[in-house]
Amino acid sequence: MRKATELIEENNQKRELLNAENEKIYTDVLLYIRTDLRVDEQAAEELLMDLLDHLIEAQENGKDAQDFFGDSLEAYADELIANMPTENKRNILVLFSTSILGLAGWFALSYGLINGMISIFKPVDNEFALGSVSLILLSLVLIGIVGIFVIFRVIRTSVFKPKVNEWKVYVLSGLFGMVGFAFVVGVGFFFDGKGPVIQIQWWVILLVGLVLLGVNKGVSRLSIN
Amino acid sequence: MALRSQLLKGVLDACVMAVVEEQPVYGYELSQKLQKIGLPNISDGTIYPVLLRLQKNGFIKGEMKPSATGPNRKYYFLTDEGKEELEQISAEWLQIADPVSKLLKRSEKDEKSNGAN
Repeated sequence: MRKATELIEENNQKRELLNAENEKIYTDVLLYIRTDLRVDEQAAEELLMDLLDHLIEAQENGKDAQDFFGDSLEAYADELIANMPTENKRNILVLFSTSILGLAGWFALSYGLINGMISIFKPVDNEFALGSVSLILLSLVLIGIVGIFVIFRVIRTSVFKPKVNEWKVYVLSGLFGMVGFAFVVGVGFFFDGKGPVIQIQWWVILLVGLVLLGVNKGVSRLSIN
Repeated sequence: MALRSQLLKGVLDACVMAVVEEQPVYGYELSQKLQKIGLPNISDGTIYPVLLRLQKNGFIKGEMKPSATGPNRKYYFLTDEGKEELEQISAEWLQIADPVSKLLKRSEKDEKSNGAN
């Protein structure tokens, strides 16, 4: 059986066989299904591949995507989603933890690296207030999760609209970015110096980052297809 | 009329199972066969919600196999449960098909004569 990642790769290549108009319609359906977080990923990718194979063959026989999907794309896609198996809890948990581990890992890695480089020229601040640091990390995670939901929401509600106000999407995303950034900075400001203060060398943070990314790689193998 | 009403959904499920029982097919073949039989208003995409529903209920199973034209395709087979279900639906359908068509044809006539008045 082909894994979801292989199917996605194959899908990307095969989509180029569609003509511009069919590709646009097919991609809309694809986005709508992929951004539905309840749907089992493996089942979704298998279905998307079946649809694509079929659509390519139909196109060769002179049919277009409009004939294929019927009058209402959204109703059609909703009907597909309603009949698809839902993602199991274990995979949701894996996705959730790998997102956080990955984020924290890259953050620690770059933080350690930058401080390491700065420390060549001047002494760096090694003191961390544990309470404040964990609060800031927590708010980063929160913003990340809310961000994913907001972005997916925006995609899903706009994908089948004939005319999307692109500037509206940009303004919305920009606004969210600003509010998120202000939120994290605010948490750092109001909860400055909370909790016990400890000293951590830059290379320790760098190592922690590497370990987190390693763990992340291990955890990501735990999802079942 | 769209093939979305409950009644037609059930009928379409049975039709898909009947085609699959005859011979395992992949998506494109299946829609071609259904169109050839003469079912009205079946767009190619119509079969996919049906296929998903039948798989979810365990009535059919998909399997990757090389096709006659070359690339691997997902072929659908009828399971034992599917066979049972198909037999049951067929029996029910055959019982009601004749009387219902008769009845509906008559009321169509009535409507026409009412309209003439």
